[in-house]
Amino acid sequence: MSSTTGITNINNMAPELPLQFSEDLLSTPMFNLIHSFGADLHYAESHIGKTTRMSRYERLSTNGGQLDGSGIDPAPEVVVRTDVDATMEIYAKTVVINEQVTLYENDKVLTKFTALLGQWMREKEDLLMRDLYASSVSYINAVGGINGQQPSEITRSDINNIERILLGNDARTMLEGIDADLKFGTAPTRDAFIALASTDITSDLQNVQGVLLKNAYPHQEGLRPEEYCSVSRFRFFVSSKGAKIPGISTPGGQTVYTIPMYGMEASAKIEQNNYSAILGYRPPYVVSSVAQNSQLYAKFAIARAITNQNWISGLNVTTSIAQ
Amino acid sequence: MAFTLLTQGSFVSTGAPVNIPVPSSADYFVTINQTQAATTQATGRGVKFEWYSNPSMAAGSAYETLKTNSTNALNQTLISSGGFTYLTDFPAPFAAFVGTAITAASPAVASGFTGLSYNNGDRVILYNTTGMLQIAGAAFTVSSVSSTGFTLLGLPAAAFAAAATAVTARKVYSYNSVLPEFMYVTAVSQAAQGVVTVSVDPTNLVYVGQKLVFQIPSSFGMTQLNENNLNGIPVIVTSVNYSAYQFTINVNTSAFSAFAFPASTGSPTTQLFATVAPAGSATTYDPLLQTYTGYDFAKQPFRSSTSFPVMNLQAGAQSPAGSTGDIVVWQAWKAEAVQYASGT
Repeated sequence: MSSTTGITNINNMAPELPLQFSEDLLSTPMFNLIHSFGADLHYAESHIGKTTRMSRYERLSTNGGQLDGSGIDPAPEVVVRTDVDATMEIYAKTVVINEQVTLYENDKVLTKFTALLGQWMREKEDLLMRDLYASSVSYINAVGGINGQQPSEITRSDINNIERILLGNDARTMLEGIDADLKFGTAPTRDAFIALASTDITSDLQNVQGVLLKNAYPHQEGLRPEEYCSVSRFRFFVSSKGAKIPGISTPGGQTVYTIPMYGMEASAKIEQNNYSAILGYRPPYVVSSVAQNSQLYAKFAIARAITNQNWISGLNVTTSIAQ
Repeated sequence: MAFTLLTQGSFVSTGAPVNIPVPSSADYFVTINQTQAATTQATGRGVKFEWYSNPSMAAGSAYETLKTNSTNALNQTLISSGGFTYLTDFPAPFAAFVGTAITAASPAVASGFTGLSYNNGDRVILYNTTGMLQIAGAAFTVSSVSSTGFTLLGLPAAAFAAAATAVTARKVYSYNSVLPEFMYVTAVSQAAQGVVTVSVDPTNLVYVGQKLVFQIPSSFGMTQLNENNLNGIPVIVTSVNYSAYQFTINVNTSAFSAFAFPASTGSPTTQLFATVAPAGSATTYDPLLQTYTGYDFAKQPFRSSTSFPVMNLQAGAQSPAGSTGDIVVWQAWKAEAVQYASGT
């Protein structure tokens, strides 16, 4: 019995409050947002329908053209225009909060919930762009690896093959080179295309011949935290939400990861004028007949498109160690 | 009120699965087959199918109320396949089924499965196709389905060296997340206007006036179709034969290398696959036919294939989407308050 010692301690006098609230909230998980920044940004006017048309004039043929002095004009060429359409879509998320939550919670829940909705908007936009790349782009199986899977793990020869395809289609690189500097263990990067990959393949990326991990770039200024490495003419950005299809490789039934690899003006993200991304609040007297529930919501509009299929390709890969 | 409590609709069954968007989500979903409710069959059919969100029900399951053979007496049972699948986001491949063969024929036929619950028009990814590894990992639309096999209309495999002696199939969603989507090319003819065969039903994917970019590895031949070898000439679809999974392009492929799948023995180091991807459209007017192409705003814009959440209804005599011609009414319920038993 603690009372027999004559000492007042926390056993015979427990704290009035059994817990306290830490001064800082813990971090809300957020995945790397990699699928949106490489897309061209366009805007759609309001009151002109929900489909936006982007057009490109194709180059003229370079065949012939010499005037032979006969006075005969060269045959005229019909100019070809390619139209790429994208339909605007609106996405929304809402949270309904009972007044007793705001009344009794220690935290400022409306503020925190608003921040969550803001995070949702960025994450949702990222996944929508990921799905565009996963759905509408041609991919080639990696075959240079040694894991025995179809497709194999990623290798330098597979990456070089995609560079060949993009260069052969006159794709332009997206990122500028990083010049060499007098720093031990660093090496310059070339002007580069973008590659977007799942974090599951990072161990294989480290083993690709000629890989330059991000810390070995001569300069770190301006680099995105999502960037992982540079291989040949590609700089790889990784996300835990990178595209994948579980259980379809041969013979192991491993997960197959798709890696979009592209250059300038390969894809577009279109925002809607007069419909900015909105974080909104509906007060209790609007939401509830007895004014007990309020509502927070987030809305945004987006259209997306592959604007030049020649300037984007990619790889299907598995991993060295089955995931 | 903050929630949608009830949405309702109906459809006439085509014998194919139906996807019903339920934007406010659902806690209870029910279908009534009005056609079967008003009649009897020698083998009693399902008239009512129910689904509950919690306790959660396995994908493909449903509480089925069905008629007794040749009478109106009702029975109830829990079916584990051919029922409802509630999808909140784009789904991963469904459970694998293992078969024993794919014929080297045109079209190819997969067989040797047990308990397949596919519908005509479903899409599957095939892998572990022993002896026919050149198709392992590609997606196909299935037809003539039974519990033991299906036909692959988009796979002319008569020229393959051998039949497959094993196959594993996993059903995937009917479309990719975004349309128009890339497709696997399984044949291209050598003709004044090349005819392209793809592995999936091109309905809703391909249209006249569509521009395409081919990506054909050298292992398939006919690399001349790749854009960089066409001197900038766009490939344009001039006609579509949806039932044959074929479309005609404006390219004279007569003098091109023959298109052919590589040998299975090259796996896994042979480059796969030959694909074709959407590259916009040519907007034109044909004064002879007085028709415009390039203004098909249902098919040509990039867009989501489906709005989630969605309730997938499988088709068939003992399934919620019913048989061809059945009139089916559906209702989606959203509970405003729920009290579940502990442990659920």
